[in-house]
Amino acid sequence: MSTVIDDPLASLGAGELSTLRGVANRLIPATGEMPSAADVLSDARLRFVLSARPDLLEPLRASLRPDLGDVVASRLEVLGRDEPAILYALQLVIVGGYYTDQGVRELIGYPGQMALELRSWEYPAYLEEGLIDAVLARGPVWRDPSTGQRAVIEDAPRTYAERFSAFERPREGGL
Amino acid sequence: MAQEPADVLIIGAGASGGVVGKRLSEAGFSVVCLEQGDWLDRADYPGNKLDWELKARKDWATSPNIRGLAQDYPIVEEDTPVSPLMYNAVGGSTIIFAGAWPRALPSDFRVRSLDGVADDWPIDYFELLPYFYRTDRDFGVSGLPGDPAYPPDTEDAPMPPLPIGSAGMKVARGMTKLGWHWWPEFNSINSVAYDGRRPCVQRSTCQSGCNEGAKASTDLTHWPKAIARGAQLVTGARVRRIETDAKGLATGATWIDRDGAEHFQPARVVVLAANAIGTPRLLLLSASPAHPDGLANSSGLVGKRLMMHPFANVAGLFEEPLMSWQGQFGDLIESLEFYETDEKRGFVRGARWGLAPTGGPINTALPSRAGEQIWGADHHAHVRTHLGHGANWGLFAEDLPDDANHITLSSAVTDADGIPAPEVHYTMADNARRMLDFHIERATESMEAAGAYKIDVDRLMRYSGWHLLGTARMGDDPKTSVLDRWNRAHDVPNLYVVDGSCFVTSSGVNPTSTIVSIALRAADHMVETRSEQQVPA
Repeated sequence: MSTVIDDPLASLGAGELSTLRGVANRLIPATGEMPSAADVLSDARLRFVLSARPDLLEPLRASLRPDLGDVVASRLEVLGRDEPAILYALQLVIVGGYYTDQGVRELIGYPGQMALELRSWEYPAYLEEGLIDAVLARGPVWRDPSTGQRAVIEDAPRTYAERFSAFERPREGGL
Repeated sequence: MAQEPADVLIIGAGASGGVVGKRLSEAGFSVVCLEQGDWLDRADYPGNKLDWELKARKDWATSPNIRGLAQDYPIVEEDTPVSPLMYNAVGGSTIIFAGAWPRALPSDFRVRSLDGVADDWPIDYFELLPYFYRTDRDFGVSGLPGDPAYPPDTEDAPMPPLPIGSAGMKVARGMTKLGWHWWPEFNSINSVAYDGRRPCVQRSTCQSGCNEGAKASTDLTHWPKAIARGAQLVTGARVRRIETDAKGLATGATWIDRDGAEHFQPARVVVLAANAIGTPRLLLLSASPAHPDGLANSSGLVGKRLMMHPFANVAGLFEEPLMSWQGQFGDLIESLEFYETDEKRGFVRGARWGLAPTGGPINTALPSRAGEQIWGADHHAHVRTHLGHGANWGLFAEDLPDDANHITLSSAVTDADGIPAPEVHYTMADNARRMLDFHIERATESMEAAGAYKIDVDRLMRYSGWHLLGTARMGDDPKTSVLDRWNRAHDVPNLYVVDGSCFVTSSGVNPTSTIVSIALRAADHMVETRSEQQVPA
């Protein structure tokens, strides 16, 4: 697993953090009720991202180096042209910090990946709507190697109800 | 004192290794398995944590070159547009596979006879059918019986189908309008509690390990049962080469532990289950004066005919919220409408479509599949309209075998133990390109019929080499195949290969169900013929 760094922000200077927030503000500016990434990317959020992804620290630092100048647009242009992997790391730090912020998640209506209870006993809507019957009505789709043609099965069920009344199926194992 | 040889040494504790390990240990064989990875604790999987989307792109990436973990080996991939993907741990790539569980179709085994290309298999669908049923039960498969894309079954999936979600319903309605085949996907993911494992919670993080243990992986479904029957599973064990005696029989394997110490594990029979990159790598590494081109390679086909299923993605965007960041990943639904050959299309064979969830907000902003990055004032509108509003058709094209697509050993790159890395040389064939172009057009029509107002296409995804196949094919003629119909090396009568290397052609479907069914068939044969098995003195 990735190496854990005690405080990843300790190796970033004030100038680099200022440049980072300038880029963040350009990539994700405040619009309507949505805050800018610069507003959201607190030290705590950056620590969170760089703790999860310590491998991003070096390319992030490279993306913030002074020789790329003070103009954010040209910094992004040069990185995109000459160092796309470095630009990707910069974008991922900003996006990662922004979209793991609880307030941002609430604003975009994203609760995270939820654990939902499956309701396997419910009759699926696609059966209710007859969508499966429409597939079955067209008959077999597979190609029979013995003929080279689409398979023909005389007594193939044409509805889902027929499928389940056609024969008693053996069931081994499972539930 | 000399170490007692194992009846069977298995190299690799993934899908096929798990199946063979369980079957043989239950039959009373003494089994040792060497696995370069470790046991994982699913409490550590990132899917139920805030940093999931960040870690999914590094420590939990599907590419070993991106992960770069200690148990991984590098793959030289400058000469391929598709990166091979895998995972090294107990459970192997089942830890991170999606869990989609389609079977190869009857025509897949008769490609030469039906379409005049590639080769027929020495076995067929109906011979494998009992093994499909058994592996469905052992892995735990959820699905709706009666799919008319397959011959009628006499045994249903052991669990009812997983839900197809709002995205699946939307696309299914579109497919119905077009009169095209679709079906709820079969997945090796529990829809109800099964075999001591919990049901799926639809978190959609299957490719970062399943926190619930609902998705089948052999660290849960097979190895505990094998170990209970006496199998010994050694982790952190990287095999350097398979050794042979003067008679040409395999005698065991030399391996390296985590501290760099070298060991030898003697065995009466050796089973390779290291995937279609790792297996030919080991066979080539096992070259000796007696077999200078690699072990079991008198045909010259070890490492050749690599197939990886060129993969395209067609993403539809819908006005309605579909909450499509949830759902099994795994597939929601599939289509085999255009799977079989129609020569009017300008290519032979076909592709399977699988509809998948679309990821969270980081993936929306920085899409790993089809899509675009939008920055500046329009970024928020982009995320609002895309997050949870999409549906992805993944298109798996059948990849026909070609000797030019092959694995060699690198002269420049090694793994952490100094063992040469595999080099992949692969070009996408014209037939596959025409096939994907056709299927992209049809899948686009499907999304339009479903009501998508915007459609993005990724015409060939680089990080899509999930399905590694064909590098030690089976066949009846030792001159044109590496393995016989029972997965035994023609050249080495006590050496078996049970992973996807044995595939003669690739089919156009996710291969795990077929791989493990072939592996179980091979294990059954080993049990049935144990008294006739040649072993070293």
